[in-house]
Amino acid sequence: MKPRPISVDAASGGVHVGRFDAMASPCEVLIAGAPADRIEALVTAAADEVWRIERHWSRYLDDNVVHRINTANGQPVEVDAETARFLDYAAQLHTLSDGLFDVTSGVLRRIWRFDGSDRIPTQAQIDAVLPLVGWHRVRWQNPVLQMPAGMEIDFGGIGKEYAVDRALQTVRAHTDAAVLVNCGGDLAASGPRPDGTPWRVGVQIAGAESPPVLALDHGGLASSGDAHRYLLKDGIRYPHVLDPRSGRPVVGAPRTVTVRAASCTEAGVLSTLALLHGADAQDYLKQNDAVAWIWW
Amino acid sequence: MQLNDKRRALSAATLTLLGGAPAAGHASVLDGNGNWDIDTAVLVYSESDSRVQLVEPVIKGTLNLGGERYLTTKLVLDTLTGASPNGATPASHPQTFTGPSGGSNYTVAAFETPLDDTFKDTRVQGSVDYLFPTSPNGKLGFGLNASSEYDFLSVGANARYAHDFFQHNTTLSAGVSFESDQIDPVGGAPVALSIMPPNAGDGEQEEDDQEGRERSSSESKTVTDLIVGWTQVISPRSLMQVNYSLSVASGYQTDPYKLLSVVGSDGEPLRYIYEGRPDSRNKQALYGRYKRLMFDRDVFDISYRFMTDDWGIDSHTVDLTYRWYFSQNHYLEPHLRWYNQTAADFYHVALYDGQETQVDYASADPRLSELDGMTLGLKVGSAWRNSGNWSARLELYQQQYQDTGIPPEAAQGLSKFDLQPDLTAVMLTLGYRFKW
Repeated sequence: MKPRPISVDAASGGVHVGRFDAMASPCEVLIAGAPADRIEALVTAAADEVWRIERHWSRYLDDNVVHRINTANGQPVEVDAETARFLDYAAQLHTLSDGLFDVTSGVLRRIWRFDGSDRIPTQAQIDAVLPLVGWHRVRWQNPVLQMPAGMEIDFGGIGKEYAVDRALQTVRAHTDAAVLVNCGGDLAASGPRPDGTPWRVGVQIAGAESPPVLALDHGGLASSGDAHRYLLKDGIRYPHVLDPRSGRPVVGAPRTVTVRAASCTEAGVLSTLALLHGADAQDYLKQNDAVAWIWW
Repeated sequence: MQLNDKRRALSAATLTLLGGAPAAGHASVLDGNGNWDIDTAVLVYSESDSRVQLVEPVIKGTLNLGGERYLTTKLVLDTLTGASPNGATPASHPQTFTGPSGGSNYTVAAFETPLDDTFKDTRVQGSVDYLFPTSPNGKLGFGLNASSEYDFLSVGANARYAHDFFQHNTTLSAGVSFESDQIDPVGGAPVALSIMPPNAGDGEQEEDDQEGRERSSSESKTVTDLIVGWTQVISPRSLMQVNYSLSVASGYQTDPYKLLSVVGSDGEPLRYIYEGRPDSRNKQALYGRYKRLMFDRDVFDISYRFMTDDWGIDSHTVDLTYRWYFSQNHYLEPHLRWYNQTAADFYHVALYDGQETQVDYASADPRLSELDGMTLGLKVGSAWRNSGNWSARLELYQQQYQDTGIPPEAAQGLSKFDLQPDLTAVMLTLGYRFKW
């Protein structure tokens, strides 16, 4: 595998910025208060961790555990310890969300192609795919996973948020400096900047003239939204948020939901679930005591 | 901020993610010293619709060692052939199943109860037993037994003691037996409730095994039985007996070859899973028997047994025989047996789509279903004092299943199938007993 590039720049106020691309997003690592000669090593450690997780769980590669699971054709697959932890997590989320959070819902993309077109699948097409969706159909006994043939697993929903948290942990193991990891708007910070002020984060909102700026000193921030991916038919906008239980898009969801939580992963789960609650997103966030911003 | 329960659960889960398991019987021989009393029999059992066919020769020899000491040995050979239900439900289309060894496929026609006709077995069973007096009123017995099939090995030992009181009119007994079984299923023991892999017989078995350390090659089970009994002579013509028994089985009790269908609401199978039963089973049984000499000639014998276990099965058995001596040395013995059991808690005809991950155990074995059984039989035999005696017994067994364990979501879809066809079997036993 060819080495992927990282770049390091000095920004103002003793902050260094490392940049790399991962998981189809621009990623940056901001480090404040570390010696200049260590920045590149720290950024490399963060990038290596994100790339490792990307390779490990990408559904676009054919030599990883996700590929083995998705091509098992009904056979049991033994997974590594990290994937097992993630599947345990996915199982808990499925229960906690009453089936709304489902790592097997990716199969729905076979019929829902959110390319801005008006191609809405028929109910018959949805009915044909629905038996292949549903964590309750999965036999998960750590470390062995067995799914009915045709089902697939996709960690895309929270894989990036997890990678951000892991990257931050990796860098923190090497430095006491304040660190912020940001991959495409999902971010995690180890603490405020050396001058005690929080990190200031711009959130991308489709159609917003100037991105709102949020403050974060430690913990995670994650956003979910349908900014670019949707179908439009008869004036109805079908966002890319699909309810795994009905196989249909959730209508009436906010444009973007941003959540701040103890970790990027937790924030990502809350923002994703808020979106899946559609018009009830606000109530859902309130019920879960989430610190959140909603843009309708 | 006070977080609610769901949010706390989410936070905790996220933190975990980021931070990082038969006792051998004995014959009482009243006369003869240094003589063998030999009992031979052959049983032929035949189920209707070319289901299970069994041929079972038995030979038992009891050696009278004198002084009320007896050594008994017994050898049984079972040969089973035919087809037995594999647990799957019928479908509107032909169904193909892979045999446990992976090489043998069998196809079941639409609307037929899936029967596994690759079912063949030979069992050898042997036991040795020694019974001797420890005092004028006490008898102690020890037994060893072993049983072997191609995929099953069982060894067991038992000890029992009986003590007579009141001029032998009352006998109290207690026994304990222990059995250890080893099960080596063909193709390994599948993980309970796991999905039967499609096309397991495509010659990719080896590759499957790499991935599938899901199959263990060997499983084991132990069974410990305790029994206490009371036998009371009521009058010179009648006696009664009461037994209480406790059986604790622990280990692998799943039938590794049995499946369940996972069906959609239309009742058609979506996939098949292997059955799974609890690792432990505790049974308690209460048995009562009354035996009476009638007209100074015939013997009336009635017994009732109640069994209850922690799988949810309660059973009642009433057994009735009347031995009518129609001549000095010949008898005719009608036999009536009625049996009823409730279904095991985890008995399901089939599971509804997704239900298989919601249950801990499941089996579609008809023997765990709610059922009624009726046996009608007639035995004819001779009763000479000092020569060989023969007997012949013909019995008809009829078993009816009750509709239990049908998933409500698929009940309508399944209603077009005969899910639990009644079972009829014929048994013929020929025996000859002689001294040697």
